[in-house]
Amino acid sequence: MSSLFSQLAVLGSSLTLIFALMLLWHRSVDAYTTAFAWQSVVLAGIVAVVAYFERDPELYFVAAMLLLLKGWLIPRLLRRMEGPFGAEQELQPYVNTATSLLISGLLVLFAYAVCRPLVALSHLPTRAGMPLALGLIFVSLFVIASRKKALTQVIGFLMLENGIALLAVLGTYGIPLVVEIGVFLDLLLGFMVMQLFVYRIHETFESLDVEQLGRLKH
Amino acid sequence: MSAWFVEIFQVVFVVALAPGLVGLIRWIKARLQSRLGAPPGQPYRELGKLFHKEAVVSKNASWIFRFAPYAVSASTLAIAFLVPVLVVPRRLDMVGDLFVVVYLLLLGTFWLALAGLDPGSAFGGMGSSREVTVAALAEPTTATAIFSLALGAGSTNLGAIVAAALNDPWTVLTPGHLLAFAALFIVAIAETGRLPVDNPSTHLELTMIHEAMILEYSGRYLALLEWAAWLKLFVFLSLLANLFFPWGIATTLTPGALSWAIVTLLVKLALLAVVIAVMETRVAKLRLFRVPELLTASFVLALLAITSSFLLR
Amino acid sequence: MTLMGTLVTGAIVCYLAGALAALLGNDRWGRILGAWGAASGAAISLSLGMVALASGSVFSAVFDFPSLTGFALRIDGLSAPFLILTGLVGAASSVYGAGYSAAYTGVYSLRKLGALFNLLLLTLTLQVMADNALTFLLLWEAMSLVAYLLVLTEHREPATVRAANWYLAITHVGFAALLAMFFLLSAGDLSTAFDTLRANAPVPTQRNAIFILALLGFSAKAGLIPLHVWLPMAHPVAPSHVSALLSGVVIKMGVYGFCRIVLDLMSGGPAWWGGLALALGVASALFGVLYALMEHDLKRLLAYHSVENIGIIFIGIGAGLMFQSYGLMSLAALGFVAALYHTINHACFKGLLFLGAGSVLHATHTRNMEEMGGLIKKMPRTALMFLIGAASISALPPLNGFASEWLIFQTLLGGSHIPEPAVALMIPIAVALLALSGGLAMACFVKAFGITFLAIARSPAAEKAHEAPLSMQAGMGILGLACIGLGLTPFFVVPVLGRALAGLDRLAWETTVFSLTLPLNTPATFGSMSSPLLAAGLLILLGLIPLALWVIGANRRTRVGDTWGCGRIAQTPRMQYTATAFAEPLRRVFAELYRPTKDLSIDFHPESKYFVQSIEYQSEIHPWFEKLLYQPLIGIFHRIADRVRWIQAGWLGLYLTYMLVGLIALLVLAWWTP
Repeated sequence: MSSLFSQLAVLGSSLTLIFALMLLWHRSVDAYTTAFAWQSVVLAGIVAVVAYFERDPELYFVAAMLLLLKGWLIPRLLRRMEGPFGAEQELQPYVNTATSLLISGLLVLFAYAVCRPLVALSHLPTRAGMPLALGLIFVSLFVIASRKKALTQVIGFLMLENGIALLAVLGTYGIPLVVEIGVFLDLLLGFMVMQLFVYRIHETFESLDVEQLGRLKH
Repeated sequence: MSAWFVEIFQVVFVVALAPGLVGLIRWIKARLQSRLGAPPGQPYRELGKLFHKEAVVSKNASWIFRFAPYAVSASTLAIAFLVPVLVVPRRLDMVGDLFVVVYLLLLGTFWLALAGLDPGSAFGGMGSSREVTVAALAEPTTATAIFSLALGAGSTNLGAIVAAALNDPWTVLTPGHLLAFAALFIVAIAETGRLPVDNPSTHLELTMIHEAMILEYSGRYLALLEWAAWLKLFVFLSLLANLFFPWGIATTLTPGALSWAIVTLLVKLALLAVVIAVMETRVAKLRLFRVPELLTASFVLALLAITSSFLLR
Repeated sequence: MTLMGTLVTGAIVCYLAGALAALLGNDRWGRILGAWGAASGAAISLSLGMVALASGSVFSAVFDFPSLTGFALRIDGLSAPFLILTGLVGAASSVYGAGYSAAYTGVYSLRKLGALFNLLLLTLTLQVMADNALTFLLLWEAMSLVAYLLVLTEHREPATVRAANWYLAITHVGFAALLAMFFLLSAGDLSTAFDTLRANAPVPTQRNAIFILALLGFSAKAGLIPLHVWLPMAHPVAPSHVSALLSGVVIKMGVYGFCRIVLDLMSGGPAWWGGLALALGVASALFGVLYALMEHDLKRLLAYHSVENIGIIFIGIGAGLMFQSYGLMSLAALGFVAALYHTINHACFKGLLFLGAGSVLHATHTRNMEEMGGLIKKMPRTALMFLIGAASISALPPLNGFASEWLIFQTLLGGSHIPEPAVALMIPIAVALLALSGGLAMACFVKAFGITFLAIARSPAAEKAHEAPLSMQAGMGILGLACIGLGLTPFFVVPVLGRALAGLDRLAWETTVFSLTLPLNTPATFGSMSSPLLAAGLLILLGLIPLALWVIGANRRTRVGDTWGCGRIAQTPRMQYTATAFAEPLRRVFAELYRPTKDLSIDFHPESKYFVQSIEYQSEIHPWFEKLLYQPLIGIFHRIADRVRWIQAGWLGLYLTYMLVGLIALLVLAWWTP
């Protein structure tokens, strides 16, 4: 029984990671939003699986929140944001696609190496997914660092948040509900701030290229 | 004796059905695109037509050009002998493992690429250059995916991998297995020249890879090369089907088990044909210089597969 | 005298007689007799290696003659594979050289060439027998100097002199490292027998220093990255039969030395030794093939492939060392055997390819592939031999390159047994990069063979090409047969090579794990492969297909026509794909590694800038990491040279004074130290 549990946890974790890799492969922001939405759905699924096997009703609530907020609301807002900016595409990232993919592959390997002691300490059936969650965090950070468009960076940040949530769920079966709700609110607020920010960038520079921010110095 | 008979039967079965599979993919694709489409039996007629036409050979070509169709067909047929299609365990398993299969594929590519260069046409050279590029870039993924499969089964021999998967049916759901499948699927697409890497029905010089190499061929030579290409697709798909979803493959030589194996194989192949047809209808061909990115993605998948196999061991 | 003793004496006598004959004879007879001496000596070297492996006996001799005191020779299992490859490639290239060097008559000194060629074979044969540091180093230096002089054969070409200088410089950096290494290893006494060194192990910190020095010294000889720069310069400019020997055998002495010191005298070490060798091997394999792809000089292309294959050999050795350090002995033995197998295989196919390239050079007087083409019709036998070599080096079954690369893959798969996951996770990356370099090698040899031999001649020189003379064909034939033979018999070769490890500490008992049945099973039972059955199958299928065509009544008529040209009538060589164009997709894919420099200049019409008069596009690829590494070193060297220039006066008396002062200083030092 628990082997099925761990299989599902690892399967889900690798799926979330693959959705993150899609950010590096695709070029249109629309595809990024879709990837993020699906990643959040899978994350909600993992939380629900943990809830089922651990008989923890609170986690069902978290899963539902995740589904609602990240699987539906934020993607909707993201799509609405894309409207005014037209077809913004990530055509010339700092690091090209093939190299980005290779680097993220190595980052995941690194995550495995770093997680060794952590996984060895843990006895939870979900421990095998933890390196993947850490890998997701690394890859999201890499996305933020290597991409130029503000919207891509926003999505990278959201995926980073997903990665942290995944690590929390796999490592400790989630954090207390109050904290969880606080995090959700923070996230929503952070998202609003970023949205405002993106609008401002676009207003000032007629572009969402964050390289333009360098011009603010002068 | 009957074991050897089954070995032979298996190859005859594969060779006979290979054109049919391509016909089926083309037919489904036509239907998905609201065309009437040629019936699935069309490739057989094409072969019949080609075999009865005389061959035209360029005056610049050497014996390489005339020999290549035989070399390509022989290496593809050899792969058909090595891949478990209907039965495990097999007599010929010890002759070659997955690495041998991969290098036999390279052998075919080598000859075909040389034949492309031989008549001295710009098209042929272009096709050869692109084909060897794609083949070389697909290698790391293939090797890594083989490594990951071998870790699970403790062997690189095809029969052993299939048998291991049969013994423990739930391994097919492990992420290592699924990721390796995804990686090898992309490689299969690239190696067999399907969309989005190569368009099998194009004759536009900017986009063709495989077609550009065989542009100078006609008559029986073209028939052999086409048949070999279709055979390669069939073998690749049944390899994928049997390595990752081995259910139904016969483990004894009874007629019942064999016929059940044939039925399940046909179902699996039909499913894969639908997948390919749907994919080819949905996606456009990639620019040549995005193909390396696709192959890199497949390599990362294979790398992830291997890391998770390491971890779950 | 024992059989082996007789053989050793015979080989020495043959080489010396050959050298003498070349020196004393006239152009024609000196050339032929010199080649005979070299060929018979090489044949004896070959049989010496075979006898050593077959009998498992050890031959040793210590010289007590006044002039040879301290000189000690010994043949054991580890020497044998290297004797075999020296013999094989030596015999083939001396037969080939008899015809090839005729072209030098009246241009360059044939006497010197013939004598040096014999001496090189002599030093190579003796090198692997050296049984103490003194003998080893003396022979090493002799071999390097003879090879240097051979590279300088065409000494009127400035490029040749430059290449030879690079070779001399780097080989002496290596020599210095080896000298220091042997001083550490033998605690100052260079005439200590290797047997004594085996028994007393140095302290761990010293061991690490010894390993690093050995790696430095031997990789300079073997051409491992980053000490490979001399290789693509020096090998192409030598006469082709010498290039075959340089790439086939001389660089293998680096492999031999590394095995002798690290595997035999020190019997392995910590895991990072293997890891370092593995990493350098992977880097060499990848960069070697990447730069080979961009090369249009046929012999330089082959030289870069030597860097690649040395890398593959070091992958095998490195993996073996890693396994040894973790106590996985049968996997370690597999790695070493695979590396030795690949060493012999590489000697055969690279020798063959260099001889083939030599025939092409002989016929067309150019090394530039863009000026060749269509040669398969003019020189069919050379083309067939080159094709065999190309298929072998591309690791296509059932030839020999495939057999050894398969074994190296199998060794690496054993990496999953390494208990340390962080280390074990590096193995798949090595597997992937090895596979990539294999695929790229295939691409590169499609280019090399296709552009050189196929399609239409691209220059008048290529149109007037002729088949190589019989002696050159025979030389290529020997190596071509060796490639096929070694490829078809891994089930025999591998257990025999396993005996080469018999003398090695801790590995001795592992030789039994290789079965002698037709399919080759790896000891960890990771896989099995049978290349004779594979070859038989392929041949049967090749016969069956025409039969099937006949049975179904296919149309067998063939019409010869023009190449299709979109309605164009005449086809010119300029319409063909060039070597540059062929490699262009890969150049773009790996643009970040190549960092090509681009230079585009457009001349506009003086009246209007909308009319272009001429466009010039130039793009070059320089190995940037070489610049990164060597430029500062050369800079430092120049600065030091500038500083010490004042001691040079050009006046003899001053130099004599320097010597006197030096002598007195040394004596004072000796007097002061207790």
